[in-house]
Amino acid sequence: MSTFTSQGGVTLRTQGVGRSLLRIFAVAGNTLREAGRNRLFYGLLGAAALLLVFSVLLSDLALLDQKARLVQDFGLFIIPLLDVASAVLMGALLLYKEIDRKTLYAILPKPIRRSEFLLGKLLGLCGLLALQELALALCWYGVLKLRGGDMTPAIGIALLLSYIEVVFITSVALFFSALSRPVLSGVLTVGVFLIGRVSYVLADLLGAQKSIFSEVPAMHAIGRVLLTVVPDLSTFNVADEVLLGWDVPLHYVTAAAAYGLSWSALFTVAALLVFERRDIV
Amino acid sequence: MADDVLLQLDRVGKTFRSGLLGRRVEAVREVSLTLRRGESVGYLGPNGSGKTTSIKCILSLIQPSRGAIRLFGKPPSDALARARVGYLPESPYFYDYLTPHEVLDYVGRLYGIDRGTRKKRVPMLLDRLGLAQAMHRPLRGFSKGMLQRVGIAQSLLSDPDLLIYDEPLSGLDPIGRKEVRELMVDLRKEGKSLFFSSHVLTDIETLCDSVCILDRGVAVAQGRLSELLLADRLESEAVIELAADAQEAAIAVLTSVPGAVLCERAGAVVRLRVPTPRVPELTQRALEVQAQLRELAPRRDSLEELFMRKAVHVQEVGGAA
Repeated sequence: MSTFTSQGGVTLRTQGVGRSLLRIFAVAGNTLREAGRNRLFYGLLGAAALLLVFSVLLSDLALLDQKARLVQDFGLFIIPLLDVASAVLMGALLLYKEIDRKTLYAILPKPIRRSEFLLGKLLGLCGLLALQELALALCWYGVLKLRGGDMTPAIGIALLLSYIEVVFITSVALFFSALSRPVLSGVLTVGVFLIGRVSYVLADLLGAQKSIFSEVPAMHAIGRVLLTVVPDLSTFNVADEVLLGWDVPLHYVTAAAAYGLSWSALFTVAALLVFERRDIV
Repeated sequence: MADDVLLQLDRVGKTFRSGLLGRRVEAVREVSLTLRRGESVGYLGPNGSGKTTSIKCILSLIQPSRGAIRLFGKPPSDALARARVGYLPESPYFYDYLTPHEVLDYVGRLYGIDRGTRKKRVPMLLDRLGLAQAMHRPLRGFSKGMLQRVGIAQSLLSDPDLLIYDEPLSGLDPIGRKEVRELMVDLRKEGKSLFFSSHVLTDIETLCDSVCILDRGVAVAQGRLSELLLADRLESEAVIELAADAQEAAIAVLTSVPGAVLCERAGAVVRLRVPTPRVPELTQRALEVQAQLRELAPRRDSLEELFMRKAVHVQEVGGAA
């Protein structure tokens, strides 16, 4: 039975994939609306935009033909950093706020599955972070134009890959927030981010002719395992290639996107499994 | 399970683990109850007796450690079963950046109610709850009473068969309490089944035909209120008018009935309490001393007396253990 009509004639449609998607979108829409009415979000966005404008002043210190490049460099550094910081902060608070403010008590007894609620929250936050990245990119574009630079397809690709990294970090934060309190969730998420960002060093050490990993077979095996279980977030950082004017091939972008989204899916499924069993006390 | 059984708890218990050592905390030890269509059941108990925990089990917010719960014949994890329940949490909190209209619209979308029905039903319910003037104001400026009304409005949106309200009258001022109580009476008249928790006994007496008394996680008494208040108090009260002479001697004769107690004397009229099986003996003695039996009725406990007796009994047993 996919529908139920009450004695008073109110028809409830709760079953089916379409209905499930509508509930996910309802939660996502509400998550977006919450941020849209939060002054703190606009404050953070404003501060980030000011930081980008500050790069104009900074570029005055550069040599004549390097002004646009400095703005470009600064933007490619600051936008992903701000987005990751937002993902950690908002992701760690995503479920905690709902439980702490007891808003979850009024929502979960409704005919919504916990998985739908969690996916809606994730979708809403990812949408919010996409809007944030877009707003900052537009601001950056203005600053870049002011300094005689331009937005190139490679810059667009760099921003896209940094967004995929942000989606991954959001799913990690969501997983930890389903398990623990916000401070611990934040610390653990930052931990995963930092390890992921330097995991390429481990790969280099494994490949090096003279290192502890190459000389001790057991360490080599441990290194291999570590490299498999730790995501390599440097995959999403193509700032150097962009600044050097190199092309980022499409097959690389596709593979990086698939890699990032697979890791995100893994953490999201883990978060769903944890949240499904959690007592909402 | 019969179709008219809306809610059934069968020996439900919940044990939490707390701290690093996983210390066991038994929030609910054993609760069994049945609620049928059209019934109104009061869930009564002191603070910390496990009322809210067991309600959360019913709504699948918490997984019970033991026992089984059936909601409309299905487990509470079934979304369609929950769709037929209207729930008001204790001290309801909603997204304070939303307006009442937005809250109800959002809830309506979760229920899968189509846009046309939501457009008609949301303002109608807000109007019924006296929130028509405030339906487009953010909740963050609302008083506790107004939030409670928003909570009730969202619980009625799907026109549910069963309403589960957790402490619906707590924290309200006297006018607010009266309004909510009247609303609940109206909902009962409309045929809604009601399951609500409270530790305010007068509210339960006014609104419920059955009660379940919970103490330290155990259902210590349950059943129809009228029967519970008469049960295991097999006493009757008699009002007797004594003859003009030898009244003291007559009283001595009447109170010689085993278990009889003189409760009150006003001139020649006395009020006696006597075990019900001893009523024939009392009437016989009254005839002997030429007194007139004016009134005779089974004595009824107040809910407060019943509650105190049951709660104290359990505490004594718990203390002894």
